[in-house]
Amino acid sequence: MKITVAVSGINTIDNPGPGAGICRALKESGMDVRTIGLAYDALEPGIYLDQIIDKSYIMPYPSGSRESFIDRIKDIHSRECIDVIISALDAELPIYMDIEPVLKDMGIKMLIPTKEMFRLRDKLRLKELAEKIGVKAPEYLSCTSLTDLHEAAKKLGFPLMVKGPFYEAYKANSIGEAEGYFTKIAVAWGYPIIAQKFIQGDEYDVIGCGDGNGNDMGVFAIRKMTITKLGKVWNAVSVRNEKLISATKKVVKGLSWRGGFEFEVLLEDKTQDIYVLEINPRFPAWVYFPAGCGINLPARMVQLLTGQEYDTHSDYKSGKLMIRHTNELVKDISDFEQVSTFGESAEKGE
Amino acid sequence: MDRDKLAVLAISESGFIFDPVTGHSYTANSTGLRILELLKDGKDMEGVKSAMADEYEAGEDELSVDINDFIENLKKYFLL
Repeated sequence: MKITVAVSGINTIDNPGPGAGICRALKESGMDVRTIGLAYDALEPGIYLDQIIDKSYIMPYPSGSRESFIDRIKDIHSRECIDVIISALDAELPIYMDIEPVLKDMGIKMLIPTKEMFRLRDKLRLKELAEKIGVKAPEYLSCTSLTDLHEAAKKLGFPLMVKGPFYEAYKANSIGEAEGYFTKIAVAWGYPIIAQKFIQGDEYDVIGCGDGNGNDMGVFAIRKMTITKLGKVWNAVSVRNEKLISATKKVVKGLSWRGGFEFEVLLEDKTQDIYVLEINPRFPAWVYFPAGCGINLPARMVQLLTGQEYDTHSDYKSGKLMIRHTNELVKDISDFEQVSTFGESAEKGE
Repeated sequence: MDRDKLAVLAISESGFIFDPVTGHSYTANSTGLRILELLKDGKDMEGVKSAMADEYEAGEDELSVDINDFIENLKKYFLL
């Protein structure tokens, strides 16, 4: 049975989306899968990755009208008979949460969090969540002005982490540095800016998927070895840290999490206590790494949604290394013309 | 000494040490590697010292200082 899966976030740029990794994991799963890329720009590299994405379509921005977004999916669905959509971008999740019932009526299935789950993992509610799952949260204050930042710095001291609402985080050692980062982030990403107490330790990530009934469908933990300026993991090593795995399972159970997620934490050097930094409500860009180590979460998600049996184990080896790299493709300008003019890539072999 | 931690460490013949819990890796020279092997075999401080005295041409005092130093480093990195 051929399954058609549409995947967003195929922007494999310096701030990579998870879409290409999801498609690669699906292609290597052994299932008969047709992958459809949902892009927002004709130069998203995933459109041109013919070996893992069979066909791509340009979508209207999720910040636009709900109707045009649904109409575009209907149009693609009429030609592709989409079985599953895997949303892989934070910015589009609210609209997918909104239109999931409409898609269901069309026969398109999704495994995404509910609005309540989405709200509970908000960056500004971390303390509440941390208490619920028995870990710590670094003390933080939300700032919308330099006056707020000064107050936060007085309370939290230095070094101080200055973090954007979506991306970017900087360690400030003085109020002058903190003000500089505050302004830089506000210009790029807007408010609120989060001032967070600095905890000395290493950052770890856990990827997982919840079935919506409190059960996890597999988890996989890494230590970040190299992080880009935007805070994205570039190189990583798999770890088996039972405290971390247990905390992740508590997240899935406690929130009855539905869909893919990334649990970002910090382990304090002195105490090895776990501090929750963030929960991203979708698969992270390094989603292929666990798939390559036997924990193929995109495949498990598709199998659950299409009524097939799926693995739930988290049996993987520690000490596996992920090396991300950049690459160049050589294509013809006519490939770009096809996407920019018609809003879709050519069929493979055309 | 926390020997549970020591038991899970992956130590290669080249002296490369990988901690599967934290994901950190370290490199030990041949002497450090020998101390780690002895500790993993269940030897206490005296046992390590005695085995090393048989294998290396060094006085007990000198050995004690070096072994203690190495063990303190292991503790510092949460490996012991």
